[in-house]
Amino acid sequence: MSRTLVIASVVALLMLSSSSVANPGGNGDADRDYTCGGSCHGDPSMSLPSDGTISISQDGDVFAGHAVAVHVNVAGMSLSDNRLLGTFILGSIDGNDDHPEDHGWHVIQDPNGGSSNYVETVVPSSGSVTLTWVLLAPEEAGVHNLFSQIHHGSEPNYDGMAYTGVSRGYSIDVSPVPEGLPGLSPDWTAPAYRASGNGDPLEIHTVNSTSLSVQWMLEGEWSPNDAVVSSNCEDSEVCNEWQAEIPATMGDTRIQYQITVLNGSFSMELPWLTMGTGPVPFEGDIWDARVQSFAFAFLILSFIVSIQIRLSPWDGKDDLDHTQEVVESEPEIPPPPPGMEEEPQNDDEEYWSRLVPSEENPGWLWDSVEEEWVADPNFQGGEQ
Amino acid sequence: MFGADTFHTAMAEIVVGTMVLATVCAVGCASIRYIPVPADKRESLMVTMDKASMAGASMALLFMPIAIMSGNFAAENTVGNDLLYNKFVYSGLALGFWAAFVVGRVRMGPGLWEVRPLGILQSSTAVMAFLMTTMASSIGGKLVRGESLFDVLPIWFPSDSAVVLPIWASAALLVVGMAALFVVFRMSPRTERIQLE
Repeated sequence: MSRTLVIASVVALLMLSSSSVANPGGNGDADRDYTCGGSCHGDPSMSLPSDGTISISQDGDVFAGHAVAVHVNVAGMSLSDNRLLGTFILGSIDGNDDHPEDHGWHVIQDPNGGSSNYVETVVPSSGSVTLTWVLLAPEEAGVHNLFSQIHHGSEPNYDGMAYTGVSRGYSIDVSPVPEGLPGLSPDWTAPAYRASGNGDPLEIHTVNSTSLSVQWMLEGEWSPNDAVVSSNCEDSEVCNEWQAEIPATMGDTRIQYQITVLNGSFSMELPWLTMGTGPVPFEGDIWDARVQSFAFAFLILSFIVSIQIRLSPWDGKDDLDHTQEVVESEPEIPPPPPGMEEEPQNDDEEYWSRLVPSEENPGWLWDSVEEEWVADPNFQGGEQ
Repeated sequence: MFGADTFHTAMAEIVVGTMVLATVCAVGCASIRYIPVPADKRESLMVTMDKASMAGASMALLFMPIAIMSGNFAAENTVGNDLLYNKFVYSGLALGFWAAFVVGRVRMGPGLWEVRPLGILQSSTAVMAFLMTTMASSIGGKLVRGESLFDVLPIWFPSDSAVVLPIWASAALLVVGMAALFVVFRMSPRTERIQLE
């Protein structure tokens, strides 16, 4: 009976784990190569072609080293219950060195606010989703290709297969930069999050800019507001470090902002960027944790060992209890020193007999020995 | 070669495995008088469980510092969130409970199970150590995989928010703890091994 119970418990615990060969919960946004660098998603025996369609588009002309918004639209695919879709943007589909950064691009912001080339998103009920990466184009002018790949599940999916699809190469003609064209600095990446309540100005690094303006709005709003912009280089004509005052946000609020850089007659309106609200940074330090941990360890150890001692039926416990010996060894109480003797009791018969009542002072008795008045305890308002 | 996180996982699995053995045997030792076991088998079963609990706890105590240190390296010596901070704290608590379990058993011998209050204390210490160790391990699962077996159990100690004491307060607690250890081990009466009847 007990053996059956144990086996049934073990089987029940084993059945709690998932048996799927894929990652139905996703793996999170990250920088990944095509088919995750040859992982199981690329294994034909563990994946099937996606039934979705992928299309890529861009906003406006693209200049070398300047920002461009690249849109990836994915539609028509079957999905699993959680409607999770993993989407890549790639510079090649070789299985290694496929990240756009490996091909001269720089990710300013991914669709989820980070700076990854692989993002996971929940597809709305329309079955179509458009994801926008804001990239800095390669410094080298010419035609550059971008690819997109998708991963998703299906319902039902009895074999736990991953469904994967890849787009054709999307060619982007990167034009040479006109002299003095302002833009974002290649070493700047848009922050994905700001800490809740943090109102510090947003640092923006640019190239060739003499002026900069920023508009912001909360996600879902339609009318942007102008942000106050300042810089520390008022003396020089070209300034590439700016601070934009964007209001602090709290909770799950996401804020969108658009940077416009100017240099003389050039005015570059950059794609809208998004910034989420993150939790306040954790203030603990590793040494705080270590010291606190060892302090608790010592306290617990000493506390329990002291209880063990208390509960221990140790034979020698009585040897330490010398209470009886102390009591027995105490000498008789010595007489008080002269002048410290206790006063005799005042209620004896002799004392009261010497007290004389006075008619002039009813309620009081005269002590002729001590020469003092003493209150008469038997006096009751004139009726003795 | 392998990374610090892989090594940490291996060490944590050793600790968890041995402490499960120790806890089950410790609870068995404390409750054997209530289990319907033939009298002729009871003594051998008691001796076996006592030795197994001692061996498991000693091994857990031996490997726990290694697990903690490898965890430090795996975390790259940084504590970036409440979960990781609490993992340190629960590890310290587990270390304290396991050390108390082993110290008690070594000082008083197997006869401690014959004294009912001590047996209850010893098995309770093992259970608390089990819970603290499991909690620290489960936080590791939460950090790496985002899930833990505790998710399906009705037990979950506070871990999403950490009480970060200032370093001076922690240092003061550490000094108090060390002073308490000194008092307990050096100034209080020494316990004797309990003789088996």
